Formats: sequence, C-alpha cells, structure tokens
Amino acid sequence: MAPITTASNETNHQALLDKLDIAKIQKPFRNPNFKAPQRRNKSVKQILSDASRREASLLTTQNNSGASTPMPVTPTEAGSLHPNPAQASQDLSRLVLEKNQKAAQTGPSVTYTSIAAAPSTRPKKRYCDITGLPAPYRDSKTGLYYHNKEVYAVIRGLSTAQIQEYLALRGAATVLK
Amino acid sequence: MPHFTLPIHPPTNTNTNTPLPPPSNPYLLTDPPFTGQLPSSRQQTHPGTAIIIDNGSSSIRAGFSHSPTPSLQFPPLMARYTDRKLARRLTFIGSEIYFDGTARGQSKSAYDPPTSSNIINNWDVQEGCLEYIFSKLGLHGQNVDKAVVMTEPLANPAYARRTMSELLFEGFGVPAVAYGIDSLFSYDYNGGRTGLVVGAGYTGTHVIPVVDRQPLLSQATRLDWGRSQCVEFLTRLLRAKYPGLLTGGKITETQVEDLVREHCYVSQDFSGEMLSMLEWTGLENRDHLVQLPYQEKEVVVKTDEELRVVEERKRESGRRLQEQAAKMRLEKLVRKEQELEYYRDLLLRVQNAPTKKSARELLDEDEFKDESQLDRRIKEMEKSVRKQRNKDVGDLEEETAEVHTYPLLEIPDEDLDEEGVKAKRGQRLLKANHDARARAKAEKAAEASRLASVQREDDAYRERDFEGWVEERRAARQSTMQRIKDRDRFKADLGNRKSQASQMRMKALASLASDNPLGRKRRRGQDKEDDGFGADDGDWAVYRDIQRGNDEDGEGDEEEEDLGAVLRGIEGELLKWDPEFTEQSTQEAMRDWTKSLYHAFAHGPYVFDSESARESAQLHLNVERIRVPEVIFQPSIAGVDQAGLTELVETLIGNRMAGHTAQGLLARDIFVTGGYALFKGFEERLANELRGVLPADAGVKVRKARDPVLDAWRGAAAWAGKGGGGGSGSGGAFVTRGEWMEKGGEYLKEHNLGNVFT
Repeated sequence: MAPITTASNETNHQALLDKLDIAKIQKPFRNPNFKAPQRRNKSVKQILSDASRREASLLTTQNNSGASTPMPVTPTEAGSLHPNPAQASQDLSRLVLEKNQKAAQTGPSVTYTSIAAAPSTRPKKRYCDITGLPAPYRDSKTGLYYHNKEVYAVIRGLSTAQIQEYLALRGAATVLK
Repeated sequence: MPHFTLPIHPPTNTNTNTPLPPPSNPYLLTDPPFTGQLPSSRQQTHPGTAIIIDNGSSSIRAGFSHSPTPSLQFPPLMARYTDRKLARRLTFIGSEIYFDGTARGQSKSAYDPPTSSNIINNWDVQEGCLEYIFSKLGLHGQNVDKAVVMTEPLANPAYARRTMSELLFEGFGVPAVAYGIDSLFSYDYNGGRTGLVVGAGYTGTHVIPVVDRQPLLSQATRLDWGRSQCVEFLTRLLRAKYPGLLTGGKITETQVEDLVREHCYVSQDFSGEMLSMLEWTGLENRDHLVQLPYQEKEVVVKTDEELRVVEERKRESGRRLQEQAAKMRLEKLVRKEQELEYYRDLLLRVQNAPTKKSARELLDEDEFKDESQLDRRIKEMEKSVRKQRNKDVGDLEEETAEVHTYPLLEIPDEDLDEEGVKAKRGQRLLKANHDARARAKAEKAAEASRLASVQREDDAYRERDFEGWVEERRAARQSTMQRIKDRDRFKADLGNRKSQASQMRMKALASLASDNPLGRKRRRGQDKEDDGFGADDGDWAVYRDIQRGNDEDGEGDEEEEDLGAVLRGIEGELLKWDPEFTEQSTQEAMRDWTKSLYHAFAHGPYVFDSESARESAQLHLNVERIRVPEVIFQPSIAGVDQAGLTELVETLIGNRMAGHTAQGLLARDIFVTGGYALFKGFEERLANELRGVLPADAGVKVRKARDPVLDAWRGAAAWAGKGGGGGSGSGGAFVTRGEWMEKGGEYLKEHNLGNVFT
C-alpha cells in the first residue's frame, strides 16, 4: 500500500488506514436480512431505454383498453398544469377522464429524455480550433478553423492524429464504426 | 500672441516586444484532496429531527435537519478491495480514498460516466455512502429511526427512485422518506416565489420556471454542461496544446478540477476579450503559469582536475597506439629487407647457376617465370623499402624523383613485340594517370585564382558604385528567399497526390521507365538501348527531381545548393556594408518569437527554452481561462449539440410560456444556484445577455443564492423542519414504510419542491 502524501511513513500510514476503514465498524442500523438484488447497477442508457419501452407499451394498452370513455379530441391549451383548476367548472369525473386521456395520448409529460434541451437554432460563432480566438477562416483540407496565417502555418505542420484531436474537441472528428 | 508648444515625445518603439523574465510565483498543482477524517457526531436527542441528504453528483452533503450546515460533505466515491498483506477486505469512502494509492486506483463513483450523468448507476457505492453517513451521524439503534429527506435529479427515472427507496426502507429500516429537487429547495430557502430557477450543477444545468411556488416541470429543461464537463474539456484542450505533457498520469482529474476552479472565469464580452487576450501588452497578467513537477536533467560538471586527467589518459593511449604502430611497421620493414636479401641472393644464384635447368628450378621454387620478373620484383621491393625507411627511420637520403618517361609511346605498335605492346599499354595508363593528376591540380589552382579575381572585381565594383552594389545584393537576397520558399512549397506539394508537382513527377518517372522515351519514331541508326541518356552529366539530375524524401535528416540539402548558407552569406555582406540593413531586417529577426501569436499562446511572454526541463513542464492558461466556462453560453464550442443557456431561457420565457399569466413575471426573479455559479462574472453575464434578448419591460434581474453550494441542503432542512410540505395526508410528503410496502416501490407523493410522478 503506497502512501501518497509524503508526510507519513509506513506505520502511521497503516494506523490511519485502519482508522479510515469502515468495513471494521459496527453497523447495527443495517438490516442483516437485506440482500441486495443482483444486477441492480444499470447504466443510464439501459434505464432510459427500459423506461421508454414501458411508456410505449402503456400507451398502446391505454389506447385500446376501454378503461376510459373515448372523448372527442379537444385541442390542448398552451402551458401545462392549470394553476387554478377550479376556474373551469367541470364535473370531477370529467376532469379525471380528461386527464387520463391526455396522459394516454401524450405519455407522461416529464421524463429524463424529454427534459433535455433541444439543439440551437441560432447561427454558431466560429472559433479557432488551435487558439480559441475568433476564426474568420476555415482550412478546406482539414476542416479546422483558424485565426490568421501564422496559425495556418501551424495547422499545416500537424499530424493526422493531432488534427483529429482538434476536431474531436468540437465534436467534428470522423468516427469509424 | 500666445504661443503654445506641445512637448514632442520620441516615438516609443512599439515594434519590439520585450520578453519578460519568468514570473516569481508560478501556480502549482494541488495535492490530492484528502483533508483528514470526517468527524462523527454523537447522537443528538432532538425528537423531530430528520436526516437530510443532498445527494449530488459532485458531493454528498448530509446532516441533521436542526444543524445550520451539513456535518458531512464528501464525493460519492468508494474503494472496496482485499488487501493482500492484511488479508481482509477494506472499504474507504469519499475523500479518504485519496490517502492511499491502491484505494485511489480502486475507487468507483456512484455515477457512470462520472462526468456526465447525474443518475445513480452504482448502488453498492451508494449503499456504502449511506452506511458511512449513518455511522458518522452516530446512529446505533436497530434501525435508522429518523426520517430521511433526499434530493434527486430532475425527472429522475422510476427505476432509480425505486431502487433508492428499496435500499432505504429494506436495507436500513428508515421509517419515512421524501424526495425533492435540490435547486428548488435552494430557491425556496432564498425566499423565492415566482421566477426562473437556474440550477447550474456539476453534470448538468437545469432551468425550471416556478410560478407561485409551484414548479412547472413540463416546461423545465436540462442542458448537459456542468463543472465536470468543464474539467474534461480543459484536460483535452491542454492535451492538444502541450502534446506529451499530460500523458502518463502526471496530472490527475482532481488537479485539473482545481485548475478550473482557480483560474477560470466567465468573460463579459467573449469575442472582444478573446481578440485582446493574446496581445503582448499586459499578457503577463492574463497568462497564468502553472508549474508541473519536473526533474532537472543531470549535467555532469567535471572539475578541471578531472578534465585534465581525462585528457592525459587520452593522450597516453594515443601515444601508446602510435608506438605500437611504429613497432609493427619496423618489424615489417625488417622482414621486407630480409626478403629482399633472399631475392637478391636468389638472383645471384640463378645467374651463377651452372645449367639452365637448375636456374629454372630455382625460379620455380619461388614461382617466378623468368629472370626479368625476379629482377622487377627486386626493384619494386627496393623502392618500397627505401620509401618506408625514409618515412619511419629516415636513414637514407631522399632519392631524386624519378623522371617519368614514356619512351615506348613513341614507337608504333607494329615495331614492338607482344611484351612490348603490353608494356606500352602500361605506360600509356601511367601517363594518363599522371596527366589527370596534373590536370586536377591545375584546375584547382585556376579555380582559386578565379575566385580571388571575382572577389577583387566585386570589391572594386563596391568601391566604385556603392548604391548599385547594395541594390544588387538586396535583389540577390530577395531572389534567394524566394527560391527557398519555392523549394519548400514544391516539397510540400509533392506530398499532395493531385498537385501539379506530383503529376510532373509521375510524368518524369513514366518517361524514364518507358521504352520509347521520346515517343517518336526512332531515328535512323539509333540503337534501341542507346538513347543517349547518361552521356551528358546533366541527365542524372532527373533523379534528384524524382526523389521525394522528406527533409528530416537534412541530407537532401547537401546535394542541392545550400540556399540557406547562400542567404546567410549575402546577409552578412549586407550587414557589413549597408548602413540601412540592420539586425532587425535579417531573416533571423523576421522569425522573432516575440511577435509570434503561437508563442504567446503556448508559452506566454516568456522566453522558451525547449531544452530546459523546467520550462518543458509548464502550462500556460490564458485563452482557456475564459474559453472553458463560456461553453454554457455557446455549447457549440465544445461540440455539444444543444442550445446555450441564454437561448434556453429566452425560448422558455418567450415561446413556451406564451399565454401564461405569469410570463411577464418570470424574468424579474432569475435565481442562480449550484456550483457553476461560483465562476466569477456568471450572473452579470447572464443578466447582460438576457437583457439584450428579452423585451424591454421584462425587467431582467438575476440573483445568486446566498451560498450556491450549501443552500440546497439548508433548504431541504428547513422544509423538513416545517413538517415536510404539509400537503396530502399526514406527515407531509413523506412516504412511510408501510405505505411504500403497500403501494409499491414507485409510490411518490408529489409536492411543490419535488418531481412529479411519471
């Protein structure tokens, strides 16, 4: 076990490790019968794909299940949860049916993927890939943006690996699958 | 009449950029963030207290709800491994893993990938962290007997929430749990009612509109950029800027994180500040020099004595070798003389031999054909012995140089016999050899005299017509520089497959290899193989044109005209004689590094010596200081295909909330919280940008949380103290164990500071 900090030698490093180790301390609050289910570590991609599949299946079952009376399609108004539902004088049951129908049609309104921001619609400003300064020019051979002719001379001297590295910073590198 | 005079200042020499001495206090890399063991508190006897856990991706903050600050703050890391020496399993949590190298190598984060996800992936790490929290908070009952409030990311997937609840209820026996969103807690704590919450966290930035204390989560949005992505971006920028410097784990992730925290700030005018960032004046203020640990190269300085001793030894060995060689030569000489004696003796014997046969026998013994050969051999040996004697020993006097006569050459071939013809051929060869040598000597002398005469002429010309001479020299310099440039461009072109130079090369190759080089009807009488190539010396130059080798070893320059040397020669002359041609105009000064943008970018305003180990282990952060945090406003800089923060806020207020009653009020209270808000200048920049894009009566006002990092925890603590959002059912928004077991793992009570059920 190699100590990183120089201010310790072997013995007191050992002592400190013993002190820090939490495997030794008592944990009475832990339920001894609790066995963690296997394979509970799921990656984000897996979790999200499972969730989207479940939503999709829910949607199809709801559509044909007859659990709700089919209502004529009403245009949904802009904005979401009405802050003052009592404003509209409606039957409670009709409210519930409407909500169910809305959920059945559009799926849950807030999911992890639906929250993600959309791509930008503004024109992007270009910056030099090497120096970061504003770049009025683009090298047609490599696709890098550059600031002036001096940086261009540098670009011409780069190797292919370095060029791809600069492009990858911008997300424009060629990825071979 | 009044008469004003303004003082005339001599023009300051703005052309020279003076290099600066290195800074006196460079920044250093930080040590691993081990701050000692976190304290454990004794059991507090507050009845209604709850345990508040702010489960963030950068760090977990936990404590009792009645304390003003969280008593525990640590990153969600765990290292669990079996140590060989002690033969038992060890577990370390949080910053404590940095204390040991093995632990650091084995550490796992609860999130995967740790830089861009805020959904828990590794539940073992989460379990370990919870154990750590509970034991540090001094709980030793059979179960955890306090309610727990936890924060979760916006739109947390159901699976994550279910597993967390399972862990808490089943594994630790927690009586009640409530979940909430950290930025909303922070907003509530800072007295927010209606406004826009910008939660700029570690792995992402959330924008949530809140109207009358109710969050509109369907209009919320998340930008995938936070402090951890900044760290990754800076690492890649530095790796591209200083190749080879960041390899081999010389800089760890936590050190880059500290670099980001210490040196980066949000610029108020990105493009403008970028343009002036690398200008020479004031560069030493903007450029931060970070010194990495380095190893000084060992320069063995021998003392004078040692040097002398080494020299002596060298001379000794040289002398010894010489002596040995001389001895050997002497031996050879003696042996040769002995042989000579023997041959002379043999000759005598042959001459005195009684019969021809015995003479023949004697000759045959030594493989001589006849007497004349023996004679010749003797003569040769005599000559060589004499020469050697003269060289080594110097006894015999120099013999007069033989006059080379070629009598046989006069006589025509018919008159001589066979032997004579051979002898004549030998003599002709000798004569040709001699003549060639004489010719070469004459040529050299002629060349030397020619050069001398040219130089004299040049001097005379200069004295006669100085201006003209200078002009001529300058023109020559220009033309040489042009030729150098052309040659370089030609070489570079050869690399490109489709360029003119490359195609010409292919044509030359093809014509060399083809059978019909001229492509025309073969001229009468001309042999097929003999196309005349090679007869003229200039033909061989075509091979030089074809060769495409790279110039790395510089061997190509030796063959061609060394244009560099020519240029230097001309410049030397100009320097000597031309009054206007100063040091500055020479080619060397034109490549001055102080005017180079790239040098300012990579090495700042300081001299750079690539040999020095110290300077090779330096990082200069100038442009990166504003480039890295800027990505949240312009994600295209880092290749993130999402809209920037300003645009998100603008579309939210302008389009998605259109028609909403509170649309006009949102911009009045834009609340920024989270670790990213700690960058200097973040709120001002956001305010300025929004003021430019939102309507004038929006009344843009941006404010920062009092403590962007800890206010989420404090908000949750305050909320729990107030009974956890009073709302549906008793116990507020807490889900009790019984309810959870009855209603299923994903049961969630919605409240105004948490997620909605999906």
